[in-house]
Amino acid sequence: MKYFFLNVIKTVPVLILITLIVFILVRVTGDPVALMISENATEQEKAELREALGLNDNLIVQYINYMGSIIQGDFGESFRYNTDALTLVLDRLPASIELAIVSMILATIVSVPLGILSAIKRNSLLDLFITGISVVGKAMPNFWLGIMLILVFSVMLSLLPVSGSGTLAHTILPAVALGTGIAAEMTRLIRSSMLEILGQDFIRTARSKGLFEAVVVNVHAFRNALIPVVTIMALQTSTLIGGTLITETVFAWPGVGQLLIQAVNLRDMAVVQAAVFIIAIAVIVSNLLADLIYRLLDPRIKYD
Amino acid sequence: MGVTSIARSPSSKRVNKKVFNRLLASPTGLVGLCIVFFAVTIAILAPVISPYDPALTNPVDRLVPPFWSEGGSTKYILGTDNLGRDILSRLIYGSRISILVGISAVVLAGAIGMFLGLIAGYYGKIWDFVIMRTVDAFLAIPNILFMLIILAVLGPSLMTLILVLGGTTWVVYARMVRSETLSIKEKEYVKSAKAIGAKNFRIIFKYIMPNVLPSFIVIATLNVATTIILEASLSFLGLGIQSPEVSWGLMLSDGRDYVATSWWVATFPGLAITITVLGVIFLGDWLRDVLDPKLKG
Amino acid sequence: MKFFRYILLLIVLLLAACSGGNDEEGAEEGTSNDSSDGASDEVLTIGNSNDIVSFDIHDHNNTSTEAVHVNMFNYLVKNDPDEGFIPDLAESWENVDETKWEFKLKEGVKFHNGDELTAEDVKFTLERVANDSALLEYGAYRQIEEVEVVSDYEFVIHTYEPEPALLNRVSRIGSGILPKNYIETEGWDVFLENPVGTGPYQFEEWQKDSQLTLTRFDDYFGDEPKWSQVEFRAIPENSTRVSELLTGGIDLAVNIPPDDIERIESSEDTTVMSAPSQRVMLFVLRTQGDYPTADPKVREAIELAIDKEAIIESVLEGHAVPTRTRVTPGNFGANEELYDTQLYDPERARELLEEAGYADGVNIKLSSPSGRYLKDRESVELMVAMLQEVGINADVEFLEWSAFSTPYSNKEFEDVFFIAYGNSMFDGSQALQRLELEMAAGETDYDNPEVEELLSEAMNNMDEDSRLEQYQKAQEIISEDRPIIPLFQVESIYGVNDRINFEPELSEMLYVDDITIK
Repeated sequence: MKYFFLNVIKTVPVLILITLIVFILVRVTGDPVALMISENATEQEKAELREALGLNDNLIVQYINYMGSIIQGDFGESFRYNTDALTLVLDRLPASIELAIVSMILATIVSVPLGILSAIKRNSLLDLFITGISVVGKAMPNFWLGIMLILVFSVMLSLLPVSGSGTLAHTILPAVALGTGIAAEMTRLIRSSMLEILGQDFIRTARSKGLFEAVVVNVHAFRNALIPVVTIMALQTSTLIGGTLITETVFAWPGVGQLLIQAVNLRDMAVVQAAVFIIAIAVIVSNLLADLIYRLLDPRIKYD
Repeated sequence: MGVTSIARSPSSKRVNKKVFNRLLASPTGLVGLCIVFFAVTIAILAPVISPYDPALTNPVDRLVPPFWSEGGSTKYILGTDNLGRDILSRLIYGSRISILVGISAVVLAGAIGMFLGLIAGYYGKIWDFVIMRTVDAFLAIPNILFMLIILAVLGPSLMTLILVLGGTTWVVYARMVRSETLSIKEKEYVKSAKAIGAKNFRIIFKYIMPNVLPSFIVIATLNVATTIILEASLSFLGLGIQSPEVSWGLMLSDGRDYVATSWWVATFPGLAITITVLGVIFLGDWLRDVLDPKLKG
Repeated sequence: MKFFRYILLLIVLLLAACSGGNDEEGAEEGTSNDSSDGASDEVLTIGNSNDIVSFDIHDHNNTSTEAVHVNMFNYLVKNDPDEGFIPDLAESWENVDETKWEFKLKEGVKFHNGDELTAEDVKFTLERVANDSALLEYGAYRQIEEVEVVSDYEFVIHTYEPEPALLNRVSRIGSGILPKNYIETEGWDVFLENPVGTGPYQFEEWQKDSQLTLTRFDDYFGDEPKWSQVEFRAIPENSTRVSELLTGGIDLAVNIPPDDIERIESSEDTTVMSAPSQRVMLFVLRTQGDYPTADPKVREAIELAIDKEAIIESVLEGHAVPTRTRVTPGNFGANEELYDTQLYDPERARELLEEAGYADGVNIKLSSPSGRYLKDRESVELMVAMLQEVGINADVEFLEWSAFSTPYSNKEFEDVFFIAYGNSMFDGSQALQRLELEMAAGETDYDNPEVEELLSEAMNNMDEDSRLEQYQKAQEIISEDRPIIPLFQVESIYGVNDRINFEPELSEMLYVDDITIK
């Protein structure tokens, strides 16, 4: 438990760094005035707006003000919606989390058996086939996959709704589109972690005791291979959330990803900052949890 | 490559075998190498082998199907796109940018990651703390998000694309290099080099870096594949390579409006990406087996 | 084992998926069975390519947002393409003198919250946008000096200068009358969360970036609303929107890519409707300074090099009209001689370049947004090839809209940029004001005293006939000077489910009550 708390404390400087990165990204690069003001506005009107937004202060002052508000949980107001940016992001978060979780479940269902099978039958035709499939899955950009899924399952076969959210049926296609790349990556990682375990001493011992191959694989190797899967899943969180940006656009899914793309396009800086920050926290928390679960599952493991 | 001679894992018998024999023994590795070699050759020879100028538009010959389909002609072997440009020529030229972006971004990211990883691992203390917390911060923000924000503002060009891709994906290398450095630092030969008064600089480049390289090369190779796919995703967001330049990602993304009506526009660049990624991953896996039997995943 | 639990879960998921799909179809049949005369419990679903920007009717300049708002708010007058200005909230009006307009409101008009519309609401609405320079629509309303309330139903609009286009101004974005009392007691935040207007449909729910739901407002002052509920869905990806239309998920899809027209037409239940829009694609050129385009011959060569028809026939599948003016038919001041015509003559273009001293070709920089307008990038790519043909080497730079808008707003583009302009006022003044000295400075730097005089006189000229002449003359000169080279007026293309009747509007507004069940 001690290093868990140590890890939690370690995230504080990370969070501060994230605010700095986000601040630099957003402030140094974007001038929202062009998008906020009428095409026919005069230079003076533009200057006034800039002043009103505090964009004329020097950057360090801006950053200090910004940090001050963040500590109070205030990410500013969205230009577009005239509401608190953080609330806006938090409102949209459940939809994205739902999509991410279903994708992760699908990816796990597919990748665990494939990864294990591939490792047990190493270098067989089956292994080659699974490797091939997983490479194709990885190589297919998810926007492409999403469009194809819609054409096949919605337009041609009329099985599932095209886009939108609400029911589980709406979730299936976007989750598959988002989860495929992850599943492919996980299959490969599970395969190699399984191979490593199959080569370890206790498996050899089990084999030498004359246990059936199936028992060896099922009881010993599989259980042990599951442990790193937790870490692997956590490591995919970031990729998964990145993928929602695109998947949500293709499927008109009302999550944080679409909110963010719109906010970037409109230079709605408050929303961009809040969203990036919340996403970063989500990634950090999931990594911490994975770490915790990992330790609980496998007390043998010690870290530097 | 020469890296095989480094004795970092003496118990492994495989390492001493000749690279060439290992290659023949691994059909997937051989396939991967061939694909990558083929793709790179095409990219280099593009101006020679391309039948047309990839940017040459022809409104009359729009959306001509490949020659074997009804309505196709051998004039355009793989058909034409929505502006009547020859898809084969665009694929050939597209390979240049896709591969260039893939490799340059990885080299840049690798260089940054290697440098910072070595410093963090070797010097430790505050260096380690600052660098690793930065790595954590970058890891917490999905790559594509970074790119979305930066590219939306700077406007995409080949150069910014490479810089942004490289500048955001370096963390993977930094992490790996650091942890390898930590363990190599404790090895006898490094300690004895220190004892005889070798300079830090010399130790890092002479003793540590060469030993980190095998794992580094494996990860870098696999990341070329990831970068090629990322470039395609950026094209979808309108932030990838811009016309008149052409990349596979751009072709695929442009082709998505024609999936239901003119399948060939997007299918061929999609295949090009898939096959190249397949090749790169096979090559990377094989390199891992050869260079670094301990590294899994 | 966990493994089997996963499999079980997968099966459950799949079952749920299939049953969900079936429910969907069931519901679909249910609605289409009961197709009476249209006033019943029908739900209309419209697929837009963007979500609405905001409910602040004064702080957006987005046509697709306004297309939704027109169902919730009413203007004072409506600008009808056939009948001209017709009453909406205002029953009658009179231009008392050059700067005074008297209006009389309809009585008994109810806001969605039950309040009754009075002249105070009009004063509140118009003076807000006329006085707050931070609002996006300020520029089109700052001509209004005051709204004087005479009685509950009578008011006078005072303008600073004679305002021939006043009716145009109060029949467009920003003129939807807001409930003063509601906003002043509850505050803007509450209004933006829960907007209230006088329109036939009232706010029900807004799932941002996903769906806006409106329901019938039973106390609407006009004809009884036809639909019980209207859903505006935001579906940004073209192929997804088309797929939704094809599978019956939406009744009407906005912004159909020309390439999908055939597919939609060939499907049994869907057709395509298209109509001219107010959007004109054009080049904006530097006319002064150290740019090749400062030479009028180069500008002329650019226009002569472009075969607009070829672009329209290919990437736009015929859904555009070539034009040499930005003021297209249907707008006050349109010069129809410059409409539906082009000057394509590559031979002459080459000669002009030679005369200008560019016999070996000339390099220009061309900036264009990408993915903003119908086939924008494809059109520009074809034009670049056409320019190349005559010896103009365009170094083209495509920018995603947000990256385009900053240099655009700061007037930082070099020789030429490509853009599409709309005209929500249906008046020549809005179309041409960007060429007046003050606005042109730093952009085109267009400076022709004759045009300047014509435009500034027309701006405050209350005599329709001479004003019309002034605008037509100005367009004629502009088409020769070429600070802008208008290219074509694009059509708006809609995919329509066969269960409804839909007629596209020139303004691109989506008046839900004009859409009926077959």
